[in-house]
Order: sequence, then structure tokens, then C-alpha cells
Amino acid sequence: MPGSAAIEAFRLSKTYGREVRALVDLDLRVERGEVFGYLGPNGAGKSTTIRLLLGLIRPTSGRASLHGLDTVAEGVASRRSTGYLPGDLRLADRLTGSEQLDSLARLRGTVDERLREELCERLGVVLDRPIRQLSRGNRQKLGIVQAFMHRPDLVVLDEPTAGLDPLLQAEVRALLRQTAADGRTVFLSSHSLDEVQHVADRVGIIRSGRLVDVDSVESLRERSLRHVTLTFDGPVDVSELAVLDGVRIAAVDGPHVRLSAPETAMDALVKAAARHRVVDLVSQPADLEEIFLELYREPGDGS
Amino acid sequence: MAAELARRGLRDHRRALVGWCLGVAAYVGMIAAIFPSIESSPQLDELIASYPDVLKSLFGLESGASLTSGPGYLDAELFSLMLPLLVLVLAIGSGARAVAGEEDAGRLELVLSYPLRRRDAVLAKGAAVAVEVLVVCAVAGLVLLAFDPLLGLDLSISRVLEALASLVALGLLHGWLALGLGATVPSRALAIGVPAGLAAGAYLVNGLHGLAGWLDPFRFLSSFWLVGSSPLGGGVDLVGVLVVLAAALVVLVAGSLLIERRDLETP
Repeated sequence: MPGSAAIEAFRLSKTYGREVRALVDLDLRVERGEVFGYLGPNGAGKSTTIRLLLGLIRPTSGRASLHGLDTVAEGVASRRSTGYLPGDLRLADRLTGSEQLDSLARLRGTVDERLREELCERLGVVLDRPIRQLSRGNRQKLGIVQAFMHRPDLVVLDEPTAGLDPLLQAEVRALLRQTAADGRTVFLSSHSLDEVQHVADRVGIIRSGRLVDVDSVESLRERSLRHVTLTFDGPVDVSELAVLDGVRIAAVDGPHVRLSAPETAMDALVKAAARHRVVDLVSQPADLEEIFLELYREPGDGS
Repeated sequence: MAAELARRGLRDHRRALVGWCLGVAAYVGMIAAIFPSIESSPQLDELIASYPDVLKSLFGLESGASLTSGPGYLDAELFSLMLPLLVLVLAIGSGARAVAGEEDAGRLELVLSYPLRRRDAVLAKGAAVAVEVLVVCAVAGLVLLAFDPLLGLDLSISRVLEALASLVALGLLHGWLALGLGATVPSRALAIGVPAGLAAGAYLVNGLHGLAGWLDPFRFLSSFWLVGSSPLGGGVDLVGVLVVLAAALVVLVAGSLLIERRDLETP
């Protein structure tokens, strides 16, 4: 429906049995033309959310809609202009790549043949070999092609770049950006901020079934920690580093200093370190679980 | 569209189906080819007459049928057990694979994320199961009709068609039950086990209800009793065949409706 958001969820919840609350009261709005990154550690509820949006599982309570079409009551219509890449993609092993795509094209009914060829060429899809002989990455490419080949208004991708080499990851990211530039919408899940930050406009963070934050990528990066290892040419007094805002010294071992710092403190940190003779500096993004621990510590977590 | 699922189901299974057809044709042909030597041994009938009733009734020989007549021989050797057994194994395997097996393998996830109604997917897969059953039954019938003039089986075409109809009905009931169960509950074991157990029970009830009085009231629940187990000699109960076909449709439609409301298993 014109005017409605690409994805809307209202208090969307999924409970398995009595206890397992896979998703709790998700309220979310993803606008058209946006690339939305859905981040969380494994088991946080990312795939549950996606499978609810695709109508593969039923919400325990709440509701969701794609382009204003309810995912339960109007499930078929809501999926018509949607492409989906499952997190654990299983294809028909005995078919060749092109037979599988042909079959899926007939199943969908509306496919842009030229777009399909273009995508296959662009990603270097292996079309003439049985799928069971293909590597994980080559299967994943087939999954990406089928998600895009009907030029959907919304693409939902569960960990799309899993199994792809860095070159292809970049190609897929470019594809996602182009999709958004067309005014179409991309919703992708990931467990790595690094993977999402180059492509997403906004990021939602989910933890233990609850959406804890929705933020722009920039502000999330500013708040997220880096792990920095500094090596000097001799032991130094670390107190001048420790006083910097947000910097925490983790370990000092002779000339080696390990610390964590938010991105906003990096400039001051490097300048402070530069007063000594620096042999090496390694800076790594903290992984998502650490970001959670740092930024989204729940009250009652015991700390 | 959903019809693609019927096409895919048949395509994925086409080699196995060819194998089934060859196997069934060879078996039926072999059994038929032995008939002339059976026909020339009338003492066989005396031997059979001395069998305990329970054996005669399990082999579809109860109505005083003669092993040395073509229809009586084929009823005993093919239609009372072996052909239904072969068709049921094919149908149950195919029905269980279509939904429960595909879900088990995680392949339903992508298919059901496409814009098609789940019930249409189940019905399309049901059509594929039906085609497999029909093809194998037709092959058995064609082999019999081809051998009839050569071996003097003395068959009537209408009786053969009725016998095949009863085979098809049994196949559809159990195949669609496997499909419908798989659509309702995500369990391949259940989708195979329940129809197989039901068929075994129905076969035993049909064979033994005349001897064990307490089974008698249950004979109406036996699909084998409903269609009749000596179709060429004794004839087929067409009402029974229709009842079995109706039951087959009911389980298929029920499965197609029940899958709509449930969660798909995570691959």
C-alpha cells in the first residue's frame, strides 16, 4: 500500500512452549528505501523476527506488516514483492543452479529474466553444476540471486554474506546500496557490526529477544569500543593514557599495553601515545557481545 | 505458481518412479508367466482346500475361488497382498517425503517464503503423489492385459479396471494420509509410521475378521475390506472404493488446512 512503511511490527512476540521467549514485544518501523541492519548475537531472536515477517511462523501476540499488508491475514500478498534469503539456505541438491533458479522462477510466476542473468553474471554464479557439488559460498550466491531476481520492493536477508569471500561481500554490499538507491528496502541481519556498518543506514540491536536500541550506524560506532594494543620501545607510564575519557587499561606487560577505548577517544589516545616512541599500534573493533555488555547492560545483570 | 511443486515433486522422483515401474512390471509379468504351469496342476486346488481357513482368508481365497483359474490365481498372488503392498510402499514414501521429508531437510523454508498459499502447496504435492500411484497401477494393469491373450489368463477388462481402481484408492488413501500428517505435524517418522501401521492393521482385520469374531465389527474401518481383496474373481465393491477415495480426499484436504496455522520447523 502506498504510504505505509516497508516493515512495521507492533508488540510482535513469539514464545515457544511456556518459557522460551524468542521475541518479546518488538516495535519496529523500517522505512522504504532504507537499509536496515538487524544486529544481535546468535540466538538473540534475529531469525525468529525474520521468520515471523515472512509468515513462516505465527506470532504468539502482536502483529507485523510488509508494505501495509498483514503478514498473517494477507500473508501471500505481503510476500509478493518480497525477496528472502534464509539464514540456513537449503536448496534442491540434485538440481543444477540454473534448474533451481528456473524452478523458483516458475514458483514465483514473475521474474525479470534479464535481471536474473545480470545478477548471475555479477556474482559469478555457477549455473551448470549440481548444487550438491557447490561450495557454501556458491550456494549462497544462488540464494542471493533468487532473493533479488524478481526486483522485489523489500529484500529480507538473514546473514547474507556468510560463506562469501571479501570481494563478493563487497559486491553484495554494493547490490544492497543500489537496491536502496532505487527506493527499495533492505532488511539484513548480522551478528557483526563490522559487516553491517558499511551498508546500513540504521541499526537495530536485539538481545535475548528484546530490541534494545535502534540507532544510526555512526552514533553506534562512536559509542562502540575498540581494542587497542600499543607497543612502545620500552616500558611507559600508562597513567597518562588511563586518564583519557572512556579509556580503560586492560593489561600492561613491559612495553605492551592493552586497553579499550571508544572511537571518540582515539584521537586523544594516539596523541598521548605519540609522546613516546611507538613501535606498533593495533586497533580492533570490539565484537558485538562486548558492545552489548558495555552499552546495554541490563539492570539486574549483577554489575 | 504452486503447480511447479507438483512438477518438481515428479521430476525429483522420476528415476525412482521409472525403477518402480520396471520392478512392478517385472514382478507382475513373472507372476503371470508362471500361471500356465499352475493351471495344469488341478491338484493344487485340492491342496489349497486342505489349508487352514486363516491362510485361505489371508490370501484372498475365501470365496471358493480356484487357484487354477486366471482371476483366482492373480487375486491370490498379486491383488490380495503383493500389489497393494508395493503400491502402498510407493505412496507412503512419496507422501511422507513431499512435506515431512522436505521440511526435515529444511527445504520448505524457501518455498513457503514465496507468495503461495500453503494449502495450494500441499494440494500440488498431493497431485504429484497421485500421479505416481496412477502410473504404477497403470503399468501393472497394462502388463496383465498384455499377457492375458498369450497366457490365457481369462481376464475381463472391466474387472481389471475395477481391480486397478481399488489399488489406486488404497494407494491414495495411505499416500495422502502420509502427506497430510506431514503437513500437520513436522515428523517424518509419524508420516510414515501411521499410514503403514494403519495399512497393516486393515490388512489383518480384512483377513481375519471372519475367523476372529471380535474383529468383525471393525471390518468397516479396514480399507482392504472396503475395496475387497479378490477383485478379479470376486469383484470390487465400488461403493467401498468410493468410500476409501472420499477418506483419502478428507485426509489430504485436512492436511492442507492444518498446515496453514502451524509454525514451520527451523531447518
